[in-house]
Amino acid sequence: MSIQPLLSAQGLCKTFGGVKAVQQAGIEVATGSITGLIGPNGAGKTTFFNLLSNFIRADSGQIELNGQKIHQLQSHQIARLGMVRTFQVAKALSRMSVLENMMLGAKNQAGEKIWQVLLQPKLARIEQQELKDKSMSILESVGLSAKANDYAGGLSGGQRKLLEIGRALMADPKLILLDEPAAGVNPRLIEDICGHILNWRKQGLTFLIIEHNMDVIMTLCDRVWVLAEGTNLVDGTPTKVQNDPRVIEAYLGID
Amino acid sequence: MVIYFVFLTISAATYALFSLGLNLQWGVTGLINFGHVAFMAIGAYSTVLLSMQGMPIPIAALIGAGLSALLGLIIGFSTLRLREDYLGIVTIGVSELVRLVAKNEAWLTKGTFGVQGYPIPFTCREEYSLNLLSLTCPTNSQPEYLVKILLIVWLTVICGLALWQLWRWMRAEMSRVVAGSVLGIFVLTVYICGALSLYTYDPRAGLMLLVLTTLMVVYVGLEKLVHSPWGRVLKAIREDEEVPRALGKNVFWYKLQAFMLGGAIAGISGAFYAWQFSVFPDNFEPLITFNAWIIIMIGGAGNNLGTVIGAVIFWGYYELTRTDFFKAIFNALHLDDTQQGAFRIMIIGLILMLLMVLRPQGILGKKEELTLGR
Repeated sequence: MSIQPLLSAQGLCKTFGGVKAVQQAGIEVATGSITGLIGPNGAGKTTFFNLLSNFIRADSGQIELNGQKIHQLQSHQIARLGMVRTFQVAKALSRMSVLENMMLGAKNQAGEKIWQVLLQPKLARIEQQELKDKSMSILESVGLSAKANDYAGGLSGGQRKLLEIGRALMADPKLILLDEPAAGVNPRLIEDICGHILNWRKQGLTFLIIEHNMDVIMTLCDRVWVLAEGTNLVDGTPTKVQNDPRVIEAYLGID
Repeated sequence: MVIYFVFLTISAATYALFSLGLNLQWGVTGLINFGHVAFMAIGAYSTVLLSMQGMPIPIAALIGAGLSALLGLIIGFSTLRLREDYLGIVTIGVSELVRLVAKNEAWLTKGTFGVQGYPIPFTCREEYSLNLLSLTCPTNSQPEYLVKILLIVWLTVICGLALWQLWRWMRAEMSRVVAGSVLGIFVLTVYICGALSLYTYDPRAGLMLLVLTTLMVVYVGLEKLVHSPWGRVLKAIREDEEVPRALGKNVFWYKLQAFMLGGAIAGISGAFYAWQFSVFPDNFEPLITFNAWIIIMIGGAGNNLGTVIGAVIFWGYYELTRTDFFKAIFNALHLDDTQQGAFRIMIIGLILMLLMVLRPQGILGKKEELTLGR
């Protein structure tokens, strides 16, 4: 490849006791692409995500974001570098309002430091007003603005997924890792979510998506990586991967 | 009667301070701290021992708060990576450790005899250096008329602000009128008793003014912080710490800040505890921690105003059941003195159970917040 990928990982391994959850797995995500990660249940996709974002520390392997080695960094430092993840079961902060959830997402807020709250309250207040406007415009675009002042715990599953992606957007990321954005979401809302993702990609964002819904993968992805039993099986365009006999075998278990 | 009410106010305000520290840790950040009394013990002992060495009282109290924060740093560094329930186990252990060290290291703490004869603000003792910085008056004489008036004006300002806050709270919902009026009458009673005893100048009145001032500063500061982006991160940690982590917040550092700040506030309350009551190792038993938990549960977790109200109710109950009227009832039930003490605590347990059934969110908590799933 001539262009350096935004995210690349090689030789990631993780064992839990005797279980080799991920062994020698890698991935490359090109800048501005939507890359898919698929594989049968238990293939280690979510563990792989956890390793990439360092929510779980890899036993071995290398991860580079934008040419910078990140596997030694803490997960919050990785997020600050521009790679923000979401969760398989969307984590809305239930007892906070939708708007508060969104505003939490922004990085490096002045008001997040004790001394600045107490000594420079005006600075923090101006910044919060700006963040509020930004949050509202994102909420507007995903159709949640009417819910801004409701508790996030009152949202439906699909709305939570949207809130989570919106919250990640507030952090001005370069790359967003989405763990099953369409799981448990009604078909109508899945279409919406896909539309939003394509739209945000146009604005320069890169996505890495785990998904079981093949329609979503086919609609969105430029390149798909297949993980089976913790290792890379194949990678390529969605059509190529879908017709690959090894992939069909991994999913259906043909002898 | 007036001075008794002043005594009651100091006690309630001390407990309010103490519980505000725990409320920041548990109510806002979700850290289960079963050893909060350790911070109070460190604050009390440091203040008292340092001021006995001739250090000005306010500086001794601030150093006490600093040492409490340091204890928070040490506990935090070693335990904040633990999951919630383990943190609870470790903290209760640490608080017993602090108490037992105080009990056994007699060269430093006078052991089980407790520390005696330490300087108390506004109370005159010949043997200590007497100046304004040490908050003690030069002789047993009364302060000047003008000083008294100024102190009363200051009390007026504090009580006025409290009433104004209460009024704003009451105005938001009609259902709050009754509770608000009761609290308003309470604040007015505090004001009248405080003003009267400031005029006749009892040392306790000075202490009351000091603790109310501290409570006001801490309360206003905490309200600012809890409703700031800083507080938002803490609440996010309480809800699910993986979310702020995924968004680039240093969760460990925020937990540590909450733990240290809450500890420092409890340390200051320790200084007032020493001035108001006494300093014996067995004053700092885990029971005190759980009193703070009760206070927060009464008021509503995460709510600073609720915590203050909880402290008032808690002390009101304790003192009310000591009156002759209740003594007579207890006597009619054929309870001796020890049994009466146990009976009063039993009633608190019953009240808590009823509260959990009828109003699990506490007095000022929000019902919706309990019904929301994760």
